Amino acid sequence: MPLLIALALFFPLAGFLGLMAFEKIVSRGWAGIVACSTIFVSFISFLIVLFIYLKGGMEAQSFTLFTLIPLERIHADFTLRLDSLSLLMALIISGIGFLIHLYSLGYMEREEDLPRYFACLNFFIFCMLLLVWAGHLLVLFIGWEGVGVASYLLIGFWSARPAAAQAATKAFIMNRIGDLAFLLGLILTYTVFGTGDIVEISQRAGEPFMVGAPVMTILTLLYFIGATGKSAQLPLYSWLPDAMEGPTPVSALIHAATMVTAGVYLIVRLHALFLLAPITLQIMGVVGGGTALFAALCALGQTDLKRVLAFSTVSQLGLMFLACGAGAFYSAMFHLTTHAFVKALLFLSAGNVVHMMHGTTEMEKMGGLSTLFRKTDRFFLVGVLALSGIPPFAAFFSKDLILEQEFLAGYETLFYIGLASSLLTGVYMTRAYCLTFRGALRLETDQLKTVKEAPLVMLIPVALLALLAIGGGALGYSFDSQPLLENFLREIGVNPIEEELRSGFLLTPETWLAMGGAFLGVGVTALVYTRYPDRLRAPFPLLKHQFYMNELYDDAFVKPLKAISRGIVHYLEPKVLKGLIKGIVQGVQRVAHQLQQWQTGQIRSYMAWMVIGSAFVLAYVFKELR
Amino acid sequence: MDSWMVWMSMALFAIGVIGVLSQRNALILFLSIEMMLNAANLLFVAFAREWGNQVGLVWVFFVLVVAAAEAAVGLALLIHLFRFKKGIDVDQYNVLRG
Repeated sequence: MPLLIALALFFPLAGFLGLMAFEKIVSRGWAGIVACSTIFVSFISFLIVLFIYLKGGMEAQSFTLFTLIPLERIHADFTLRLDSLSLLMALIISGIGFLIHLYSLGYMEREEDLPRYFACLNFFIFCMLLLVWAGHLLVLFIGWEGVGVASYLLIGFWSARPAAAQAATKAFIMNRIGDLAFLLGLILTYTVFGTGDIVEISQRAGEPFMVGAPVMTILTLLYFIGATGKSAQLPLYSWLPDAMEGPTPVSALIHAATMVTAGVYLIVRLHALFLLAPITLQIMGVVGGGTALFAALCALGQTDLKRVLAFSTVSQLGLMFLACGAGAFYSAMFHLTTHAFVKALLFLSAGNVVHMMHGTTEMEKMGGLSTLFRKTDRFFLVGVLALSGIPPFAAFFSKDLILEQEFLAGYETLFYIGLASSLLTGVYMTRAYCLTFRGALRLETDQLKTVKEAPLVMLIPVALLALLAIGGGALGYSFDSQPLLENFLREIGVNPIEEELRSGFLLTPETWLAMGGAFLGVGVTALVYTRYPDRLRAPFPLLKHQFYMNELYDDAFVKPLKAISRGIVHYLEPKVLKGLIKGIVQGVQRVAHQLQQWQTGQIRSYMAWMVIGSAFVLAYVFKELR
Repeated sequence: MDSWMVWMSMALFAIGVIGVLSQRNALILFLSIEMMLNAANLLFVAFAREWGNQVGLVWVFFVLVVAAAEAAVGLALLIHLFRFKKGIDVDQYNVLRG
């Protein structure tokens, strides 16, 4: 079993290294085949592991491959952890990753630099898998940083475009801020626990620390800030909309299904620590809820299709954080799973449109595309309904669960915020759908000839994802009084609050509110569209500019830094530093000039000094002899 | 005891020092240096006579040999210097200026 997991992990790594090594030699077709097959092998391996795991009665275990740091005081082993959480994430990553690799074969067909693209994709999958399989925080951190690098490489894939390069840099730098917090948390963990092994920490957490201990609060806050950077919560969110400069499959994989979920995964992994710090949990709930609402509002005001989806991702991640804040880690993971399906579906079907329209993402240029893109239209619609939380699609179950748990934990305000953002989800998603696919055609007649439905290689992954989006809710469904996913994750202590609720699943008032909100959002928007189609197209500037958050960052951070730099270059360096050095030089020169007066070259003056000197010596000798 | 030899030796030494410090003629300079050495010799002899042993006299021989050697070398250097500077005024020999 460990061999199988190691194999599944290192196949993508081999793919990355191979493609990088033979970048110039390998043909574009072969690059794609190699990349897809490595991920496929990983996925199949994980399926086999799942099978063995379920059959043999679940037994979580850790495997140590080798020692990273062999010192006595700071010891770190390269440990992998097999349990239901890592298995679930690994299946999502490799499964959706494989579908996206397939999709990329079609989407990136006009690309020159395919080997580099697939190498980066494989590298990303490897790092993400490393992250979720890590049994030691240091290994996790390696994967954590790695996905940041992969994100940078892939967002800036079309490096000739300045917007893409800037977006990639921005993403990496904002990530870095979170990484700093993570690293500080790691150091503190070692100081407090003496080890970075996750299992050990989780088990020992309760002993020396009571609930609410300040050390725990600081520790969890640090990890939370790290998660904020990675999962694009306020205030470190603005890299995600900009990251849409990258290719659409990249957006689907990294910024919807996997990398941005790493923050949520971290929190769930360390839930034993978080449960000991109620202050951090409260902060998490507030930040998550605030982000969810904020991002939903921003999504409403976007004109770029991919940006709507990006803000949607931020909003849904906010919901996951909201859930974690209430201690409902299971519902967060459930939503993570369904969201991965649905968001990947949405991004890929949007990608169909973008690709066939030769790279346009502006909804201004779209409209009435349902006549041209019949299949993609259906798939996108499935995604819209699923994300809005319409039953019986997948995300309804997970979203509803989050809202329920929120209410049960006693956070009523947050419940209403979550409800509001769910309603808004319906609104902005329906708006995006209507503006893109419905209404009058906005293409010119000569463009009509080239724009048609996407090829099969791009349609099949989308179709599969649509199936998952429809049926994914079954994961939360009870087949024999024990819901599948919940049972699966129960063994690591991640289970929902108030389990008696299982039986009365559809009857709680919160569920009706959630359903009502979803239908309301979708329905009202659709109605508005049929009456006043153009009203939906013109967004409020405040929303379109993300409440001017980017401008705020610019004023608060970028401008002062630039001013300081200018000050140093124009004032500090030429006047102060140069003056200082000049002064020292001049001082030395003056002293030297004075000393030079001594060297006359005259023999008689030298002799005179010798005589005087020897007179002193003689006087001293005589004094001593007395 | 007779201290006239000590006084004479000190007088000789003083004359030698004054000569070294005030002379510009290189030959007279050398002569003054030799005078200082001989003053030391005289002191050795005086104390040998006073204490009645031969240790001081042996020292005198050493000093004489060293003085002779040093005079030889010094005069050889002077001859070379004369070839360059066409004079024996020590104030002329000031090329190693700072």
